[in-house]
Amino acid sequence: MNPTSPVSTGRALTLGAIILLALAVHGPLLLMQLPVTSYDANTHMFFASHYAGHWFNPWNEKWYGGFSQTTYPPLAHQWIALFSHVLGLPLAYMFVQLCVVLLLPVGVFRYARLWVDERSASYAAIGSIFLGSLALLVYQSGQLPTTFAAALTLNALPFFYDWARDARFSALLKGVAISVAAAAVHHVTMIFGMVLFAWPVLWLAAADARREDRKTGAAPIMRAALFTLVVVVGIIVVLLPLFMAPQAATGQVPIPHGSRDNYILNPASGMNFWVIPHGLLLLALPFVFLRGCSNARLRPLFFGWFLTLLIGLGGTTPVAQVLLGTIPKALAGVDFFNVLTYERFTFWATLMTLPIVGLLASELIRRMPRFAPAGLAVAAVFTCALAVGWTYYRPINSSPFKVDQVVSFLQNEGHTKFRWMTLGFGNQFARVSREVDASSVDGDYNSARLLPELQASGAGQLYNAKYFGTAGMEALRSMLKHANQYGLKYVFVRDRYYEPLLAFAGWRQAEVYDNGNVTLWVKDDVPPARKLDFGVSVPGWQGMMWGTLPMLSSLFAIFLVVALPERRRVAETVEFPSAAASAATLREAN
Amino acid sequence: MKGHVLAIVMFVVLVVLVAAGTVHSARFTPARTPESAVRSLFEKVKSNDLAGAYTYVSPSANVDQQTFTKDINGRDGSLRTYSKIESVETKVLRSDDNQATVRATTKWSTAVGPMFDTRDLKVAKEGSDWKVLWESEKQANLPPQVIPVNYLRWDIIRRGADEDWGAQNVESPRIRILSMNAVEKDGSVVIMGEVRNEDTVPGFVSVGATLLGKDGKTLGEETSFDKVSHTLLPSEISPYRIDFPKTKLSDVQSVRMQPASLLIPASADPVIGVLHQRLEKDASGRTVLRGELVNQSGQTVNIPHVLATYYDDAGRVIWVSDAYSDKALLPQTPVPFSVDVRDDLAANVHSYRVTVNQYSIDRVQ
Repeated sequence: MNPTSPVSTGRALTLGAIILLALAVHGPLLLMQLPVTSYDANTHMFFASHYAGHWFNPWNEKWYGGFSQTTYPPLAHQWIALFSHVLGLPLAYMFVQLCVVLLLPVGVFRYARLWVDERSASYAAIGSIFLGSLALLVYQSGQLPTTFAAALTLNALPFFYDWARDARFSALLKGVAISVAAAAVHHVTMIFGMVLFAWPVLWLAAADARREDRKTGAAPIMRAALFTLVVVVGIIVVLLPLFMAPQAATGQVPIPHGSRDNYILNPASGMNFWVIPHGLLLLALPFVFLRGCSNARLRPLFFGWFLTLLIGLGGTTPVAQVLLGTIPKALAGVDFFNVLTYERFTFWATLMTLPIVGLLASELIRRMPRFAPAGLAVAAVFTCALAVGWTYYRPINSSPFKVDQVVSFLQNEGHTKFRWMTLGFGNQFARVSREVDASSVDGDYNSARLLPELQASGAGQLYNAKYFGTAGMEALRSMLKHANQYGLKYVFVRDRYYEPLLAFAGWRQAEVYDNGNVTLWVKDDVPPARKLDFGVSVPGWQGMMWGTLPMLSSLFAIFLVVALPERRRVAETVEFPSAAASAATLREAN
Repeated sequence: MKGHVLAIVMFVVLVVLVAAGTVHSARFTPARTPESAVRSLFEKVKSNDLAGAYTYVSPSANVDQQTFTKDINGRDGSLRTYSKIESVETKVLRSDDNQATVRATTKWSTAVGPMFDTRDLKVAKEGSDWKVLWESEKQANLPPQVIPVNYLRWDIIRRGADEDWGAQNVESPRIRILSMNAVEKDGSVVIMGEVRNEDTVPGFVSVGATLLGKDGKTLGEETSFDKVSHTLLPSEISPYRIDFPKTKLSDVQSVRMQPASLLIPASADPVIGVLHQRLEKDASGRTVLRGELVNQSGQTVNIPHVLATYYDDAGRVIWVSDAYSDKALLPQTPVPFSVDVRDDLAANVHSYRVTVNQYSIDRVQ
């Protein structure tokens, strides 16, 4: 590898120092458990809580009257479950998220080293700590699997490059192991993210082979194909129960999501999904365009970033709609555009831009050694602070409420005999779920549901039924109609929109909680819930596979990385006049 | 230099793509036909852009934006305030060079299920564009007055805090199923009839039914859900209807009825009168039962629910249908209602009875 860069006069920061910096920035925020109020964190903790109690039995009775957790890759949840025995569930979530936050700069550094010199790469790694997009994903969206899989993907890519370029077998082994572990964390990142990240790297490997080794680019492409094949086989083996899992029969009715808006016509969405995630990184974009286009080595990265940026713009340009909506619909009848959300694409775009931004930082510091470090530090801190502050000033829950009384009610006086649901609880539904033993007919992961009333509708969660229009309200009506069959006795309501339906359908208000924020509605003639038979189950061998292989894949990746350390490439300065005779060379060292 | 050109090209590509995405979803697109004016108006309502929708309203209609917004979003906590438009179908009924009438059939997702609304809108040409002559719904403005109330009310004294949760250690009100009739319609078995509270206290009533097949196995289990008036005062009668979708009557051996009742506090207020009931054909030729509802109390009823029972000449219940009104019942103000009657049954209807169920925001506390 011969990263293009200006001659760097200073030393690169050590990875240890960068990791310590990440710990200093995100450690306190995670210790304060800020993600607990985020959008998805409670759902992931709910999944983890099941593994904590039933490691080898992925059948979870608490949602949808029973569903299989093999419908979602388990690795992030299993790590949380593992640590929860020591730290408790919320802290275990924070700890795993912290590990991810520490792993991310390592990945960014190694990824950036493919494109730029070591010093610029170290600035890129520092930049990743302060990314607004990372802060939003962690503290607003609670997308632990997305950030986890992205960190792993970035760590796998340099091995992918090494294998494609030099055919190093250890790189193949490590790259495949990390990629499979990433898939075991989050399938969407593997399907979309890995592709967006990998093709520029493959382009780079082929270009390097042609330029420096005087070989054709065919060999790297063939090796990349082999890498892909082995990864696919590995994923199939490790996640076999996922592919065999009983899935929902219908697609989800799309609900409006701000990340699909046109950010210019909807400035609020533009702020939340583009301006805040970028922060002062926006000031670097002219440099990214100029340097990315003018430097041949950076061009693959630039084009990869450009495409990811366009998709991350959601409905602002037609690109995402065409690539993920029109084309897949024409080819396979599937419209991804209205199912996906685009904040993760913006996150990936910001990660991809970091190597060039690291280069910019390097040049600024070289030219203005007195002022640039302070300016860059202020910009980075401002970007991160803006994003963290944004989650406080623009919270996703406009009026927070307490669920303690709801939990207490369900846990006492034999109420666990009956099923329950919430209306208007948003992400607090998952929190109640994980804190009570009673089972709900609703759930927060629609791919897994097997209840016919829910499968038929295509709508997502019942607690958000109104946002799915007629389909959602019909699913709710249907579920309430069959309350007696499912032992559905308690409905906790936080949105008065649903009260007319309950009142006309024979439910009556019984109790009031949280100063009237939440009301309990009951149906009196409902018999206790009985175990539901969907005609499907998760065989014991799948439970064993699910409880072992994903975790082993991550342990195996860690073992390989530790047992087969990389020989570090160190740039050697060749003194004049030798420099005139030959280009600077690279020396391998342990 | 070559790289700089490429950078400029890529930047221009970005700007062009953003412009393409933005111009495509511009706020106002002039309507070139009467139909597109109506369709665009409702499409804007659908996307929650009421200001955009108002741009399709003709200034000559003399409707300000606030009134238009209330017409669309509803008022007084009516069902329309719990609704969102889902789709619109338009049909030009009459058209000339300057004026047209367009029928808009809108489907609304509401808190109690889907609802359809048909409205004939006048559209006028203004310059090269067509705009809708929106007719605002006039609201009655009653003079201040005192309405005496004199109604029955039943309260319950509970035993105390040490009582088991939900336990009701009193006898349930006696209720009786007065009639039951089973028919097969549109691939569904429908069980209908009437239930009466025969006690001297109010009851919270629900009716369930289980169909048993020829082999004694259960074919289905359903409840009357919202096709019954759940709160029955002493001696009050309510119709009920229970639908079993995708079931054949010929497969049914017997029906097991499961009426249930519970003592509840209740009040005879508000009294809702039903006036001018008649069977007639609507604009599309379907048979409907029409009339007017009058709230005789001094409080607003937010969502009225009309249950209609149809009898044949032998006094047997042959059908039960229902409809929600999307307008609130203000005190002393008549509001029209319309309930569908099956055309294949209309000829057999000898008499009918209307029961009004209601939801009021202030009463559910």
